[in-house]
Amino acid sequence: MRFSIFRYNPERDEKPYMQDFDVDLKPTHVMLLDVILHIKDFQDDSLTIRRSCREGVCGSDGMSINGRNGLACVTNVRKLKEPVELRPLPNFPVIRDLVVDMTRFWKHYHSIKPYLVNDEPPPPKERLQSPAERDKLDGSYECIMCGCCTSQCPSSWWNPDKFLGPAALIQAYRFISDSRDRATPQRLDDLNSDPYRLFRCRTITNCTEVCPRGLSPSRAIESIRLRMLNVDGHQGGLALHRVPTIR
Amino acid sequence: MGVGDMTALKRERERPVFLDLAKIRLPVGALTSILHRVTGILLAAGVPFGIYLLDRSLRGPQGYAEVGALFENLAFRIVAVVFVWVLAHHLLAGTRHLLSDVDIGSQLPAARRSAWAVNLAGIAVALLAGAVLL
Amino acid sequence: MKIGFSGLNAWLLQRITALYMLVFVVVCLVHFTVDPPHSYQAWRGWMMDSTISITTSAFFAALLSHAWVGLRDVILDYIPSVALRVGLLVMLASALVAAAAVVVHIFWIQAA
Repeated sequence: MRFSIFRYNPERDEKPYMQDFDVDLKPTHVMLLDVILHIKDFQDDSLTIRRSCREGVCGSDGMSINGRNGLACVTNVRKLKEPVELRPLPNFPVIRDLVVDMTRFWKHYHSIKPYLVNDEPPPPKERLQSPAERDKLDGSYECIMCGCCTSQCPSSWWNPDKFLGPAALIQAYRFISDSRDRATPQRLDDLNSDPYRLFRCRTITNCTEVCPRGLSPSRAIESIRLRMLNVDGHQGGLALHRVPTIR
Repeated sequence: MGVGDMTALKRERERPVFLDLAKIRLPVGALTSILHRVTGILLAAGVPFGIYLLDRSLRGPQGYAEVGALFENLAFRIVAVVFVWVLAHHLLAGTRHLLSDVDIGSQLPAARRSAWAVNLAGIAVALLAGAVLL
Repeated sequence: MKIGFSGLNAWLLQRITALYMLVFVVVCLVHFTVDPPHSYQAWRGWMMDSTISITTSAFFAALLSHAWVGLRDVILDYIPSVALRVGLLVMLASALVAAAAVVVHIFWIQAA
């Protein structure tokens, strides 16, 4: 199977280029990550990627696979069209090969205060939450901050520093939906404080198309808008989708 | 510090970025969305002319006849058919957005289907207008 | 720098005007298919009827505000320079106000 992979070594290369690799697939090569690591082991050990859990929960190996972002470790390699083109996540500075600088991504995440804000005196054990209240976090708590959504979002491409992007916004929704948090009015005001933070979103839904966890940041953002209007959208959480991504 | 080190530092400040749109897939909803924007801009550009036509047609019988006469021009009719597509796509895509706002059809499988439907229906309406006008 | 209004208000205005215009356009399309005007008198008479001229003026108010929100979004998305953005938004606002003035003239000054 042929793979065409984005290469860039700042110490050696003037600019990035694509390098082709041919791999005879073995039965043990199930996911794209298996093949990338095989290439690293047997063909070119300078090929650089991030990876960790190899099971789709850490979010390290997000990359552009045939033009659509996804996690290499849960992408079935035999379902990919050849030549398989691997590139780094769009619009993030490339450190080397498929590794990008996610500083801006984390900065947006931190700016939405991704922690419970509650100044009431803590109870003896935990702050209680009923199962129904806990259900409201479904469809947003599962986000692993892999960056696939934000780097597929055209609004993020045009205003990467001012628009928060779907990942930070779905996390904002997660905290707005948490019954233990007491800062909902401030969170909503912050998201409405300028026309860029949330409102660059045009519901293009690229984010929902590529989320490897089946989440819908676009729906979460719609729900935040309704909350700003004091309309309570979902009684439960947001549903996950299991629609296969077409590559 | 040699020249090689300076080059490496310079590289750190100028990291390349992958944003070659030709190499990034466009899902169907994204196509609907960009066309929604393009048709919006075209409609806005056409508003002054539309207001002008409205004004002429209301000024007197002659103005009314002149506006009607425009439709006898083939080139004008072709432009009108294109404009019908522009309006139809913008209206249909906009309706899809309004429904999505109130959580109708905003889950991914339904959103994909409605994006296809909007893209095709706009063309269908234009073809219908073409059949009538041309 | 903020020209216009908060994200939420702009978005809401865009949605409300969209809904009004959608209903208006559909009603008009149906009306003109079923009962098209056959002469200048019929056309003018219908258009200058008080209900029609009020709802049509409201349609233009909706159209121009909707265009403002939409084109402002395009400018905010694609123009990084603050000065150029402000300049374009001012030009846009002027053009829309001018169009509004013409509509007012058609329905409320010339018609009187």
